[in-house]
Amino acid sequence: MKWIKLGKIFDPTEFKLANNCVQFAKSPQALVFDNYVRIYFSTIETDVTGKYISHIAYVDFEKNFKKIIRISDKTVVPIGKLGCFDEHGIFPINPLRYKDQIWGYTSGWSRRVSVSVDTSIGLAISNDGGDTFQKIGDGPILTSSLQEPCLIVDAFVKVYDNMFHMWYVFGKSWKIFTPSIPPDRTYKIGHAVSKDGVNWEKEEAKQIITDKLNVYESQALPTVVKIDNRYQMFFCYRQSSDFRTNKNRGYRMGYAFSDDLNNWTRDDEQVGIDVSKSGWDSEMMCYPHVFKCDEKVYMLYNGNEFGRYGFGLAVLEQ
Amino acid sequence: MFKWKKLGRVFNPTKVTGREWLKEFAQAPATLIFENFIRVYFSCRSYPDANGQYVSYSSFVDLNRSNLFEIIDIGNKPILDLGGLGNFDEFGIYPVSVIRNENDIFAYYGGWTRCESVPFNVAIGMAKSSDNGVSFKKMGNGPVLSYTVDEPFILSEPKIRKFNGIFYLWYVAGKKWKIVNGQAKPVYKIRCASSNDGVSWKKINRDLIQTRIEEDEVQASPDVFFCNGKYHMFFCYQEKNNGYRIGYAFSEDLEYWERDDSKAGIEVYDMISYPHIFELDEKIYMFYLDNNVGQYGFGLAELVGHLE
Repeated sequence: MKWIKLGKIFDPTEFKLANNCVQFAKSPQALVFDNYVRIYFSTIETDVTGKYISHIAYVDFEKNFKKIIRISDKTVVPIGKLGCFDEHGIFPINPLRYKDQIWGYTSGWSRRVSVSVDTSIGLAISNDGGDTFQKIGDGPILTSSLQEPCLIVDAFVKVYDNMFHMWYVFGKSWKIFTPSIPPDRTYKIGHAVSKDGVNWEKEEAKQIITDKLNVYESQALPTVVKIDNRYQMFFCYRQSSDFRTNKNRGYRMGYAFSDDLNNWTRDDEQVGIDVSKSGWDSEMMCYPHVFKCDEKVYMLYNGNEFGRYGFGLAVLEQ
Repeated sequence: MFKWKKLGRVFNPTKVTGREWLKEFAQAPATLIFENFIRVYFSCRSYPDANGQYVSYSSFVDLNRSNLFEIIDIGNKPILDLGGLGNFDEFGIYPVSVIRNENDIFAYYGGWTRCESVPFNVAIGMAKSSDNGVSFKKMGNGPVLSYTVDEPFILSEPKIRKFNGIFYLWYVAGKKWKIVNGQAKPVYKIRCASSNDGVSWKKINRDLIQTRIEEDEVQASPDVFFCNGKYHMFFCYQEKNNGYRIGYAFSEDLEYWERDDSKAGIEVYDMISYPHIFELDEKIYMFYLDNNVGQYGFGLAELVGHLE
């Protein structure tokens, strides 16, 4: 497998965004229309305390991914009410066409005291073609449970053979790795199934992708595509501590495949994409999203600084 | 008609010595009956920290079965450790409700975490004891009953019961956080879930008890008891700016409840809360908390008349 990089295609600092957002276009995820491709992303507002609040926005591209048609200029999904799971931001959103609607699986963030945050997965539905979404309720559809104690996040949903499949991330633990530095989290990729897309059955703390680095490898943003009758998963992974600015410990792309949606074989040798020698994606690569458009397979992803200055695109060589 | 006759205070936590984690409060009494004694689980607090914040622990006191005012033993340590860093029960285990299941005892508890925009959140955890309820082991580091679309936060005050071979868990679920005098205050209502094994739960997903006082009436600590062909629920509720009162509702099917606080059998001027009803040696009793929501312990009342 080989990906041909098409470069960075969107820089949020060049545009005016809603909700006082000025930087970051994290976790780009595509919704393909007849004549254009809408790419949702999470951008960031800095609140009065100096902390971040993520908001969902989108940009519509012509199918050559060179020309921008429009950018959302108002709230796409409102963040949560006081005390709710998504009160301090939504990052990311995974769009899914279902019947005549667009379903958005959101990851909601709320701040804690002893650790920085907790997260859960919500569902919001669009009846206007993906311009705006309404939540089905104030609470989450997937959250922590007996063996998944925290940090349920990063849903990616596909319908295969009339069954909804969700790949997502669950927290294993929080840990203070260095005494003077706040606790960091470790999380892994899990899987849940559903008949209706609303009520889910988890495999309860079953880590479906083996560790490559060590037990403190954090795995994030699974994205699955079916190519040549094989399910192919891309995700990103990193060390759990000292990953933000240390290039050697930051996010890289991982790969796994499955023929039955139950058993996955990790094989990062096949991922076909890695950091560049220099430039916008030379220090880290993260938050992959793979999609098909007009017979081609594309990967959206973020580069350095978790997407502070935008996202890029690659196309699969076939 | 029935009335509750107060028999007096049974346990005062401020008189207990040698336990740093047990300084004040004995809340949410819940009974487990043995041949010669009854074990009463309760939740207590150490003294508040420098910021005035409390951490809750749960333990038990054993009472002589033939004289419930005689204390035989007090737990030497909390029945459960607080949760690890970032877990839902890191800052408190309160309250606890227990039930026998074959040779084990299941415990359901409220696990407390601290949040930035609101002071706390709560979800329900589960633990199991194989030594008659002296110590418990958590079934996992996460909650057994947590937030869902219509129950977005504060799942607390579990009360476990088994009727007709099915486990029922009554609890409260948060509806909204209100800002009152600059402070965030939660509104919650009584709810229920059922289970065949005590681990996988199906929520009824609806407020069970009609709101009587105002839309934002807080309802708490539902305790259900079967007697004379009917299910009786005692709970407490909070009027606007007032303390807790005892409410009462009854049901024939456990699903639909009719509220009638006038039948609670408690005078309205009594500021008591957190009722726990149990049957012992052909009498029906209620443990309840004092005027300060249990800061100085809990008392016992006996049912006089017929619960029907």
